[in-house]
Amino acid sequence: MADLTTLDLRPGGQTAHVWEGGDPNAPALLFLHPITGIPRWGGALEALANDFRVIAPYQPGWGPAKDDLPGARDGLDLVLFNVDLLNTLGVESAHVVGISIGAWIAAELAAIRPDAVESLTLINPLGLWSEQYPGEDVFAQHPGFPTAVLFSDAEKRNELLMADRDPMDAYVTELLDLRASAKFLWPIPDTGVGRRLVRIDTRTLVATSEHDKVVAHEMGDIWRAAIPGAQSVYLAGAGHIADLEAPEAVAELVRDFALEGVTA
Amino acid sequence: MKFHWFAGMPWPDLPEDFRAHNRSVWVDADSRLFDPESGHRLYHEYLDQLEFAEAVGFDGLVVNEHHSHVFGLMPSPQLMAAALARRTSRAALILLGMSIALYRPATRAAEEVAMLDVLSGGRIVAGFPLGTPMDTNFAYGVNPVGMREVYREHLDLAVRAWTDRDVFSWNGESAKLRYVNIWPRPVQQPHPPIWIPADGISSETWDYCAERGYAYVCLASRGIAPAQAAMDGFRSRVEAAGREWNPYQSAVSQTIVVAETDDEAQQRYQEHVDYTARHTLDDFPGWSEAPGWRTERGIREQAERRLADQQPCQTRTPSRTPSRMPTWEQRIASGSLAAGSAETVTEQLEHLLTTVRAGHLVGVFQVGSMPHDLTLRSTRLFATRVIPRLRHLWGDYADYWSPRPFGSSGDATRPERHSASSRL
Repeated sequence: MADLTTLDLRPGGQTAHVWEGGDPNAPALLFLHPITGIPRWGGALEALANDFRVIAPYQPGWGPAKDDLPGARDGLDLVLFNVDLLNTLGVESAHVVGISIGAWIAAELAAIRPDAVESLTLINPLGLWSEQYPGEDVFAQHPGFPTAVLFSDAEKRNELLMADRDPMDAYVTELLDLRASAKFLWPIPDTGVGRRLVRIDTRTLVATSEHDKVVAHEMGDIWRAAIPGAQSVYLAGAGHIADLEAPEAVAELVRDFALEGVTA
Repeated sequence: MKFHWFAGMPWPDLPEDFRAHNRSVWVDADSRLFDPESGHRLYHEYLDQLEFAEAVGFDGLVVNEHHSHVFGLMPSPQLMAAALARRTSRAALILLGMSIALYRPATRAAEEVAMLDVLSGGRIVAGFPLGTPMDTNFAYGVNPVGMREVYREHLDLAVRAWTDRDVFSWNGESAKLRYVNIWPRPVQQPHPPIWIPADGISSETWDYCAERGYAYVCLASRGIAPAQAAMDGFRSRVEAAGREWNPYQSAVSQTIVVAETDDEAQQRYQEHVDYTARHTLDDFPGWSEAPGWRTERGIREQAERRLADQQPCQTRTPSRTPSRMPTWEQRIASGSLAAGSAETVTEQLEHLLTTVRAGHLVGVFQVGSMPHDLTLRSTRLFATRVIPRLRHLWGDYADYWSPRPFGSSGDATRPERHSASSRL
């Protein structure tokens, strides 16, 4: 089991809401969540906690940090938030896993603070734009089912994201998480990280999901080609939110790559 | 009571199978359907209709701003207002409005309103909507996150640009200007009246207008009940702010068609009213809620309404059942349309106006595919037979939200107003 704790970060002074689980003496793993945030502890986080000290913060603007969005103006603020978090926890470096928008933040972190990143796993990364492979517009969706497009099947949204929560709270959180994502990805997800990817000298794995309607498989190749020495793999079965749809496969992929250097 | 003639400027020539090939009339509708030659004729007809409205006695001519919109061919209402400023001499020119969040810097909006106010001799109403997600976020790419703050900052900047006679600097979140010093300056002092149009029920807009003394414009396109709820909400906020309610601080819009008899109205106008509905029914829902466009409070209010309307946001799969187009009778019963003989329309509007207690009526007289001559006919019938019967409403109140042009009462020392005809 894990705890959701609140921390005052040094030296930036932000407040962090962080899930922490696993053996405190195991290798540290920083998990940067997708567009949909972290609906609960479980799934991929729980599986990863078998091998890692899992540190999974809500980025400013998501979940319980919904009111912190104005303080994060751009990608640099998000990177500094995560740097301050590791600093406050006394973690010098960590394996970093980012999914969806979290993969963008992870890549920025690795480009700016390579010393803090042991290995980098980017799953269904957003943050680069190609007119050839635009994918679905995640911000132009039916307001009653605004994140259904992020799953391989619309029903999965209900099952994996909305279940076991107060319906109104879950819906409001869903829209506020999308709001946070829009702040950084509107109107097209060209974050500028493409100019910085060449700086990444960490072992990097790029994974794309079979049923991701937002990030095309070809985008994985574009990311891989832009990061020196990066490898890429294909994740069968899941949609964009791979940590919820294929938790075991995600955990296994991360474990094999981060700890063993093996790609499936 | 004041009566204004609103020009939505729709494209009237959509093919019958439009919706088979287009998911929406906004943002990504096939622009090959726009024919510039027809457009040329159409713009002049629409301007002729506005000028005609002044000639038959309307108090204001209303233009608005939309982008990438089949039913709103005015990306720049200022251009139309400029044309009208030259060809009219009495009516208020109501910009309803300019999407000020799109203007960078916002002093451009302040300059153009000031230009128009000078050109028209002080006849401008400056309307500033937040802007729809379709126009502002999807067509113009403005980030919906923080857009409300941008909108309010830009409006504050415009007001200060009109009112501060000294050069000042502006270090905002959106606008950073070392020197603000607009030329020209508006005729109306301290500045033209500000109206805030809002579609839907937003308590935040009520608060905003109530706190600042701006007029609130409620669009009654969904019927009288939502319009009443909106106006009751606004009135309660005005009174809570310690101000006396004045109907002229609010406007309500309504689609209006008038004929000699009720039957004739249906016979002549129904197909044109249906034209709009047919092409906009079940429009692509993905445009309606750009994430961040609503605040958390707005999201909760909207979700609660959905639940109350039996449109739960948590149903397991999106509904694919097509909506039904309302019948003529249903439109009239709900109050989303005022239609019939002059007597019938007078009754319908008296009911609407006394229910919502609005002092300004913004009438939509050209609807969908309605041809020029029919539009003029309906407009004339309304002006000659309906306006005189409703003019007395709210006679005990002073209207502080209409323009104060040169030569208006108590202002006899102002110079003569000019128009195109007076120059010749």
